[in-house]
Parts: sequence; structure tokens; C-alpha cells
Amino acid sequence: MIEIKNISQAYGQFKVLKDVDLTIQDNKITALIGANGAGKSTLLGVIARLLEPSRGEVYLDGVDMREIKSQEIAKKIAILKQTNQLNIRITIRDLVSFGRFPHCKGHLKKADLDKIEESLSYMDVKDIEHKYLDELSGGQRQRAYIAMILAQDTKYIFLDEPLNNLDMRYAVEMMTILQRLVKELGKTIVVVMHDINFAAAFSDHIIAMKDGQIIHEGDINYMMDKAKLDHVFDHDFCIAGVNGRKVCIYYNHDSEVQIEEAI
Amino acid sequence: MKKNRKIFIIAGILVVIAILLYIFLWMLTTKQPLKLNDPVRNAILQKNITRILVRNSTQVLAMVVSAVLIATTSLVFQTLTNNRILTPSLIGFDAIFVTIQTFIIFIFSSTSILFYNPYVNFITATLLMIIITLFMYRLILRKNRNNIIFLLLVGMVLSTLARSSANFLQTIMDPAEFDSLIIRTQVSITQMNLNVIWIATPLMIFIIFALFREIKNYDVMALGESQAVGLGVNYNQKMNLSLIYIAIAMSISTALIGPISFLGLIAVNAARELLKTYKHLPLFILSSMIAVIFLVIGQVIVAETGYLTSVTVLISLIGGAYMIYLVLKENKI
Repeated sequence: MIEIKNISQAYGQFKVLKDVDLTIQDNKITALIGANGAGKSTLLGVIARLLEPSRGEVYLDGVDMREIKSQEIAKKIAILKQTNQLNIRITIRDLVSFGRFPHCKGHLKKADLDKIEESLSYMDVKDIEHKYLDELSGGQRQRAYIAMILAQDTKYIFLDEPLNNLDMRYAVEMMTILQRLVKELGKTIVVVMHDINFAAAFSDHIIAMKDGQIIHEGDINYMMDKAKLDHVFDHDFCIAGVNGRKVCIYYNHDSEVQIEEAI
Repeated sequence: MKKNRKIFIIAGILVVIAILLYIFLWMLTTKQPLKLNDPVRNAILQKNITRILVRNSTQVLAMVVSAVLIATTSLVFQTLTNNRILTPSLIGFDAIFVTIQTFIIFIFSSTSILFYNPYVNFITATLLMIIITLFMYRLILRKNRNNIIFLLLVGMVLSTLARSSANFLQTIMDPAEFDSLIIRTQVSITQMNLNVIWIATPLMIFIIFALFREIKNYDVMALGESQAVGLGVNYNQKMNLSLIYIAIAMSISTALIGPISFLGLIAVNAARELLKTYKHLPLFILSSMIAVIFLVIGQVIVAETGYLTSVTVLISLIGGAYMIYLVLKENKI
């Protein structure tokens, strides 16, 4: 279990996070939503110890993360940032092999190789494992990175906008894979997202941030509410029901009535 | 893999040839070729041959030590700063070393132990170098890592600033002091400062050993800082340590053979082109070999043509052109 207590973070004078308290629920997909600059990515970075918080603690299974060695944390928490600009040319297989680094320090053993094979197959990139990353489509590249995270074999997976640059089909595919990871492998996943509908369709729990604070938190039904979403994004939303799910419409207000009628 | 082995074998042979050429070439090319039956010359030769061989070997050792350090630390520096154009000397580190020397003599005078004892002087200058390097990384490099053009500009300004301030101090310095300073700071490949070779060589072995131990970590760090931290690399600690090695390496090579701006750039990128890999182990080895080949063979050529120009100029010519090509390519202008 990961608990976040009183986390604050500032870039110079600007406070990005203000006394954030949060408990991440195990075996669930948690979506982190909020307007640009709300502090989502920063919060994710702090939880995954990429950023040092200016105040507060993060507890991993009850232990303060600062007291755990970086290598040990890497066996429990994996993080993928949104910018994966690489200036090295590397094959999928080599990239995925890096996922084993926390376990083997770069000296791959039988168990590591097995895990790499397993991850490549699981993410369906086995047949293109020798292709270079810059030869891949956005969807394939994202899958390759997730395969690396899988090879890292951690309980917790943090993803910063994994749906960026993916078209709808790949985005759905990605989220389906994440659901499978939770169901089949018992992972706990936290995803920063922009598309509320994706969050509503695929996650179990939604956390909404605004101005460096968590302002609403709850399950899908609770969160897909006009008043709350309007507050989070300062925008005029319209919540509709499609196929028994709540869907959020965020453009073209005049057509509100028609949509509801259509249902 | 097979192709790579061939590359390594050829490079190895070239290194050996280069070193042998440097040590023995004078025998074949002196204006009056050796005649073994000439009794007068033979006597002189017998007396001096060991001395000449020892001198040439020491010089070649100094070049090898410097070349290897320049190549390996340039590679590490590029991994730390996440680009393949910058090297420590392009950022102006070697100019800073020269300036430090000038400051030492200006403040403490040439009679101070900090100056006249080559070992104490070297260690003091190196320590200052380490501090400045760490400081510079915090201040400039880390924040602007992705802005290569800006960093190159900073490097240019910094080395000019360092050189000019050194020049200024030299101008207002006591002429006698200036004389002794010249010996330390006007070091170049044709006027090597071999005083510190016996402290430089073990230090080099230590640094190379330390860098090789971190090789797997450097491979991961090439993925970028956040990725590396995510994979459990203690990034800050590794980075500080690496910067200290880089500072020491720059001090050694600048103290031994003076500033050579583009050697690291050529060696590292040539190795990258040849091997087409991101792995540090083969890159370390090949780039070191290439640096040695360039430096030593270049020096042999320069010596054979009667020192019409210096090898530094030759390397700058090739390296400068190559850098322009790289900058244009990387930024896709």
C-alpha cells in the first residue's frame, strides 16, 4: 500500500502541490485527472521518488520511502513518464531488458531472460523484438515501454499520460491491457489522464486535482457528476448516459438537450 | 558481432603501430640516417639511445593517458548531459584549468609550494577543478540539458572568459612570475609537461577502473534521468561521482598535453558510428583507441613534416568540421 502524507512541492515561489494526503488502493486502476498545471504529473513524480517533495512523506508498505534504497524501490514501483525522448538507438528487446536492471544490475540470468520473454509476449511485441524504437508506430512504442515496465515486475505501476499520441483504437487497447494487468497479474496502477471518458470507462477510482490539491475522489459513479467536474475543470460539462455508462460531453452546449433526448 | 571484432582488431593494430612509430621513427628519418659502422656517431648514439627511448616512451605514455581519459570521460559526459555533441573541453573545462593555474600563481606567487612543487600544484588545481565542475553542473548543465546550442554558446563564452581573465592577470603580473607561469600553462603536445606523469598514470588507471565498474549504470543512465531513477539507479550520487572523475581527467590531460578541444568529440562519435551501439563497454574501448590513434599518429605526421603546424590544429580542423556536421544533423536545420 502507498500512503502519501502532507506532500508539498514548489518550483521556486510557485506551489505545485499543497499538503496532499492520499492513499492508493491496491489492485485497482486509479485515474488522476485535472486541468493542465493542476499538479498531476508532479504528484506522480513525487510518489515514484523522481522528485524530492519540499515537505511530507510517502510510505511504501508502511515504510518511509526515503529510508528504502533506490534499487529496492525499483523492484516495487515502476514509472513511465510522458516524454520518452531517447537519443540512443535501441531495439525493443534491449529496452525491455533494461526493465530487469533493478533485479540483476545488468547481468541477465536465466530468470531475467524468462521474464523478458514473458513480457515481450504479453505485450505482443515478441515478433518485432529486434526492431529499433524509432522504426515503430506510436502504439507499438508505447507497448514496448509497457513491456519494459512489466519486465521490471513491480506491484505498482505509474503511468504519466500513456494515451498521448495514441489514436482511439490504440488508446482503448492500452487501457484494456492495463485492466488485464490488474485482473490477471494483481498490479496496482495509477494513470494520469486527460480524457475523462477514458478514465470513467476503464478505471476503478478517480482522483481529481485542482491547483495542487485533491478536491474530489471516489468511484466512477460518484465522480461522473456535473457539479464536481465543472468545479475541477472550470468548464461547463454535460453528463449523458450511453449504454448504461455515464459519458461526459465537453463541447457544443446547445446540443445538450438533443443528446439527452437521443438516449 | 563479427564485424565489431574486426574493427577492434584493426584499431588495436593501429594503436600499436602508432606507438611504435612515435618511439622509433626518429631512427629512420633523422637528417643523417644512422650508419651502424660510423664509429663516432655510434658512440654518441650508444650513450644516448636509452635516454631518447625513455623520453619518447614517456611522451607516448602521456599521450595515451590523456587520450584515453579524454575519450572515456567525454563519453560519460555525453551520457550525463544526454547529448552527443558536448564534451568537457567544448564546455570550456580545459580553459578553466589553465585559469586556475594563473590564479594560483597570482595569489600565492611562484615561490609558493602550491606552485613550484608540481605534485602539490597539480592536486590543488585538480581540487579546484572538481569544485568548479560540480558547481557548473548544478548551475548550467542540468537545467539546459536539452539545449545544445545554448550550452555550446555557454562553453564558448566560458572558455573565452577564462582565457581572457588569465591573459589579464598575466599582463599585470611580475615578469619573473610570468616566466614560471608560462612553463605550466603553455603546455601543449609539443611541449609536454612530464613532471606529473607519475601521479597522472596511476590516477588514470584508477579512473578507468572506476568508470568500468559503473558501466551498466551508464547504460541505464543513457535512457535519461527519470527512466534511470525509475530503474533504481542512484542518479545523483552516480552523477556527482562521474563529474569528479571527469574533472580529474580534464586536469590530468590538460596538465600533461594542454588543451585539445575536439579529440573527445571525434573519438566518441567515430566509435558510435562504427559500432552502432549504445552500450558503454565497447564504446569506451573503441573511443579510447581512436583517440590514441588520432593523437599519436597526428603527432608523428606533424613531427615528420618538421612541425609546420601542431597536431592540436589538425585535430581542431577535423573536429570542428565534424562538429558543425553533427550540430546541423542533430537539430535538423
